[in-house]
Amino acid sequence: MSSKSLKYLTGPLSSDNPVIVQILGICSALAVTVQLKPAIVMGLSVMVVTAFSNLVMSFLRNGVPSRIRIIVQLVVIATFVILVDQILKAFVYDVSKQLSVYVGLIITNCIVMGRVEAFALANKPWASFLDGIGNGAGYAMILIIVAFIRELLGSGSLFGFRIIPESWYIENGGFYSNCGLMLFPPMALIIVGCIIWVHRSRNKELQEK
Amino acid sequence: MATKKFVCKVCGYVHEGDTPPEVCPICKAPASEFEEIKKKGFLGGTNSNAYIIFYSVVMVVVVAALLSVASLSLQKRQYENTLNEKKQQIVKALGENPETVSYGDIISDCRLLDAQGNPVEGKGEKEVFDAMKDLKGSIASGIYPIFIANNGCVVVPVYGVGLWDAIWGYVALEPDMNTVKGVVLDHKGETPGLGAEISTPKHQAKYVGKTIYNGEELVGITLKKGGAKPNDPNFAHEVDAVTGGTKTSDGVTNMLKNCLGNYKAYFDGVRNAASAQTAESNNELNSENNEQ
Repeated sequence: MSSKSLKYLTGPLSSDNPVIVQILGICSALAVTVQLKPAIVMGLSVMVVTAFSNLVMSFLRNGVPSRIRIIVQLVVIATFVILVDQILKAFVYDVSKQLSVYVGLIITNCIVMGRVEAFALANKPWASFLDGIGNGAGYAMILIIVAFIRELLGSGSLFGFRIIPESWYIENGGFYSNCGLMLFPPMALIIVGCIIWVHRSRNKELQEK
Repeated sequence: MATKKFVCKVCGYVHEGDTPPEVCPICKAPASEFEEIKKKGFLGGTNSNAYIIFYSVVMVVVVAALLSVASLSLQKRQYENTLNEKKQQIVKALGENPETVSYGDIISDCRLLDAQGNPVEGKGEKEVFDAMKDLKGSIASGIYPIFIANNGCVVVPVYGVGLWDAIWGYVALEPDMNTVKGVVLDHKGETPGLGAEISTPKHQAKYVGKTIYNGEELVGITLKKGGAKPNDPNFAHEVDAVTGGTKTSDGVTNMLKNCLGNYKAYFDGVRNAASAQTAESNNELNSENNEQ
């Protein structure tokens, strides 16, 4: 894999991250990060949808009438989202119930549409596919970090397994209690804010003057 | 249509003919400023109306076919998932853990009842779950599914309307057809943190041990705004309403009263049979006492 294709994959992970640099897809990042499992499934779903929408739109890019290109993009994205939703319902029903409307709302996730419009319509299929994977991974990464913090501090567990021993809790005579605020969406926003802070303080070129 | 078209690059005048005109009639530009308009590709190029319509039609047909195939091939699995979830909720309503106790272990019979509480003949488990698929429609057409556990408890599905959207659940009753053994409530879109609290185990635990009959009248369970008080005469039929979810709580109250009311004939039948039996055994006791 050439260094250029590698850049498509790794760029969105840090210096061009869709969530913490471009601030896209925040809505679903707040909603599905209470627990790790739905966050991972959501991240994977967005990755699949972005990658394949990019791929298909890149193949179609010379034939798409430019006057209806946004509609064509929407149809392609919506098709993949419906497919993902149907597959989740058939194979991981409990997760699909937890994600509920947010799978359907991938259609309106700015990351997907943004990458198709800004990248896939001007680049070759393979590069577009890698760009989709990269951006999906960048989104999934932030979701996983946020969900890790929220599930650990909010429920004392990871993937549903108990990490903080029961005996530590105040109810059981201990000293510890879960941070209920972690379970609410505003806390996700604060965590995303903290990640942006750390990220910008380490990447000087991203700081606004 | 053998003629070619030439456009003047200076003023945009379009000339039809085999060769460009020597001078443009509008701006007097020489023939060298004229450019031939080439016939565009399929249906007149990617921006012609014909091409756009053709493109849209093909796209819609392809997408529709693709999604239909996906939907049809996954339908069976999805149906099994929803069926399995219903069975788990029934087990949960009976106060058992669905991970350790399966539906088959605990439910011995399921029936469809008519308004008189009599089972509809010839309906097996398949028909019962088919009726459960459209519970609202089944209730409207006077068919009421009921699940009978092997310890004499029954589970009935309930369906109603909350503040925003549908709410539903299962109510398990003790063999006396009066005491609530457990409930499972779920909702489609009640307000998170307020009305949506009805689906939490904490809220559902409050129903256990409440009774739905006040004398001979079926009153259901009321979600009391401000909290159920132990000194209230109706305390046995009341639980605390959800704080900040009054409309949802009212929805649950109505759902329980209406849906349980549909089974009144059946419950009364079981209760009368049970009381007749106790009366009989009392009589037997009495006669035995007399004999002594």
